[in-house]
Amino acid sequence: MRGRALWVVAAVAAAVAFFVIWPFFRQGSNNAVGPAGLAGSPAPVFDLLDDRGAAASLAGYRGKVVVMNLWASWCPPCRAEMPDLQRLYARYERRGVVVVGVNEGESAQRAAAFAQSLQIRFPIWIDDQQRYGRIYAALGLPTTVVVGRDGTVVHGYDGALTYSQMQSAVEPLAAK
Amino acid sequence: MIAVLVLGSAICACALAELLYPGQAVYHAGWLNVAVAAAAVLVISGTLRSLRRVQAGRARIALVAFAFGTVMVAVAVVSSGLLAPDNHSVVGAPGQSVRSDELGGSLVFPFVGQGAPQPVVLERGGNAQTIENVRLDGSFLLHAVPRTVVAVEARDTRGGRLTITQPTGSVFLSPVLLMQGTQNLAGMSVAFDSFAVPAAHHVVKAVLFTPDQTVRLPAATSGYAVLFDVEDDAGNEAPHGIGLARDGVLVTLGGLQLRPHVLTYPAIDVIAIPDVTVTIAGILLALLSGAAAVFFESRLTPRAASQ
Repeated sequence: MRGRALWVVAAVAAAVAFFVIWPFFRQGSNNAVGPAGLAGSPAPVFDLLDDRGAAASLAGYRGKVVVMNLWASWCPPCRAEMPDLQRLYARYERRGVVVVGVNEGESAQRAAAFAQSLQIRFPIWIDDQQRYGRIYAALGLPTTVVVGRDGTVVHGYDGALTYSQMQSAVEPLAAK
Repeated sequence: MIAVLVLGSAICACALAELLYPGQAVYHAGWLNVAVAAAAVLVISGTLRSLRRVQAGRARIALVAFAFGTVMVAVAVVSSGLLAPDNHSVVGAPGQSVRSDELGGSLVFPFVGQGAPQPVVLERGGNAQTIENVRLDGSFLLHAVPRTVVAVEARDTRGGRLTITQPTGSVFLSPVLLMQGTQNLAGMSVAFDSFAVPAAHHVVKAVLFTPDQTVRLPAATSGYAVLFDVEDDAGNEAPHGIGLARDGVLVTLGGLQLRPHVLTYPAIDVIAIPDVTVTIAGILLALLSGAAAVFFESRLTPRAASQ
């Protein structure tokens, strides 16, 4: 009887030891770095201004798929990617997909002039404090985040995307 | 039995010291943790031996409970001392989310807005806990420590805002310099950092002077000040590229308009401690059961002696 009691005590002690020790061996469930690591988390919403000075927010696009592209005029890959984003916008707008270009850190005038030079029709927002760049863990520019209809980040991409990559990201989410 | 109680109490005292005076380097020393583990082994073997000698049944149960409590405490102390990481600071930029495996979550640093900065938030499994000043978190003590950082505004000569990047920093797209480097300049230890302005093809080094240091500068001024050193992409000094800017004041250097804003912003010190729940529970168990063991045994001993 006494021996059994000691075994019970030892078993409880082992359980306590496991409880104390396991936190030092736990690993993160999502070790992806950069924007890819945001997949599955709610997309942060900030109030910004667009390139014409009007209020703009991701909250206004709830129920739509949003392709949010972070860019700057000094970034050559951003310039190269812009025509494909415009093509994507033109093709998928009727299917509930919106492309938003978020300029990181530059003035509205500079962003507007850049968009005009490339005949961009999708909304351009001005993130002068570069908040989206930080919260989306941008490793560089361009950075693209696809936000689902429920406001959750579906994909995050570091670097320029080809048109076919954009299509494969958006097609499964677009309305039929 | 007395030797067991004394040894167990020493383990509990050691754990209590680690909770009351956290963060001492000695807690991670191998000799201390080996000593605590050895003491725990001696408590177990001493308890087994004492069980044969102790006469009161209740005293025996209390002695086992005492040993159990002591071993709980010893496991918490030794695992923290040998397995936990050394004390370290987690420094993040506003808006940055820093993954922490030891905390099993992410530390989310607040954006800088008007007024006092918001506290850092520990996000874990859908829960968010703010770290206002000090927070106990299982085997860690999280301490919010104010640091001085510099938010920089860069503009071209026409006043148009320019993107600031930190290719060598922890966050690429951040206009907030965390000032983690230090160097000696004119006999003063000063914090520095650097950033790039890609649109202008410039790299800028920023050196922060505290109010105490600012008054010792040749261009005597007051309050915080930042020395900017503007270079081109190739590392050549930009013409008229070095100058001192007071907090909040715009200066034109090397073809750039720069304005520093000195801010106080929290970092989080992560300090390993023995698991609080297990340690407190173990100490209480040891305290109560140790007292009970002495009480029951002393009550029985005079009676047994008289018979």
